[in-house]
Amino acid sequence: MASIYPFFAWCERTWICRQITVHESFFPALETIHLFGLVLLLGTIAILSLRLLGLLMPRQPIPELAGALGRYTALGLAIMLPSGMLMFVATAVRCYGNTSFWVKMCFLTAALVFHFTYFKKALRSPDSQYSQLHARLAACGALLLWFGVGASGRSIGFFG
Amino acid sequence: MVSVMEVCELLERSAIGTDIRESTLLFPFIEGAHVLALSLSVGLILITDLRLMGVVMRNRATSEIWSQFFPWMMSGFGVMFLTGSLLFWSHALSAYHSAAFRAKLVLLILSGLNAAIYHITIYRKLDQWDASPVPPMQARLAGWTSLVLWAGVITMGRIMAYTF
Repeated sequence: MASIYPFFAWCERTWICRQITVHESFFPALETIHLFGLVLLLGTIAILSLRLLGLLMPRQPIPELAGALGRYTALGLAIMLPSGMLMFVATAVRCYGNTSFWVKMCFLTAALVFHFTYFKKALRSPDSQYSQLHARLAACGALLLWFGVGASGRSIGFFG
Repeated sequence: MVSVMEVCELLERSAIGTDIRESTLLFPFIEGAHVLALSLSVGLILITDLRLMGVVMRNRATSEIWSQFFPWMMSGFGVMFLTGSLLFWSHALSAYHSAAFRAKLVLLILSGLNAAIYHITIYRKLDQWDASPVPPMQARLAGWTSLVLWAGVITMGRIMAYTF
C-alpha cells in the first residue's frame, strides 16, 4: 500500500491544493456545497427507499417516482463528487492517515455499485412483477450504504 | 432579570453542556445525527418546494405529496430540533456570540413565517389548484422562498461551526 502514498503527497503539491489552502473561505464553501449535494442525494435516496418499503406514496408506481426523482439523485451526486474530490486534494496527506476516510471510501464504492445495479433494477421493475423481498432488500441496502457514507464522511473531521 | 447571555453562559457551563462538549463520542454522534437528519427534514422539504414550484411530480396532487411526506419530514425535524438543542446547550455562549448562529435563527424564523403565510393565504384555496401541474404564482413563490431560506440555514449552520 505504501506505493500509493506519493500520489497523496503529490495532491497537496498541486495548484488546486494551494488555492484552497491559501483562500480561507474556499474549504468552508466546498463543505457547504457538499452539504447541498447531501440533501439532494440522501433526501431522494430516503424517499425512494421508503417507497420501496411501501411506507411512502403507495399509490404512485415505483418506476414513475424513480423517473421524477432520479435526476435529483444524479444532481446530488454530481455536486458531491467534485466538491468532495476538491476537499480531498486539499487534505490528501491527512486523509491518507485517516481511518474514517478509508472507511468512507469503502462505503462509497459499495454504495455506488449497489446503487447502479441492484437498487436501479428494483426502481425500474413494475411493482407487480418484482418480489417484495428484493424491493425491501434494495431499500435497506441503499439506506445502510448511503447513510454509512454520510456517517463515516462526517467522522473524517472528528476522528483519525 | 437575567440576560439572554447569562442564560447561555449557564447552559454552556452546566454539567450536561460540559459533558456533551467534552465527550469524545457523544458530540460527534449528536453532530452526525444532526447532519444526516438533514436528508429527511430539508430533503423532503426540498421536494415539496419543487412540487409547489411546479417543477417535479406535476402529475401528483400537491396535497397527496404533502400528506405523504409530512410524517417523515416531521420525524426529520424532530431529530434536527433535539440534536440541535443539545449542540446549542454545549456551546450556548459561543453560539450567542456567533453572527452565523444569529443569522441561522433569523432564517429559521423567516422560514416558519413563509410557511405560515402560505397556510393562511393560498393554501386556503387549495381545492382550486391542488391537481394543477403548475400551482398559482403565490404558491410557487412560497416554494422558491422556502428553498432559498433553507439553503441559507444550511450555509449558516456550516459557518457557525467554524466560529466555535
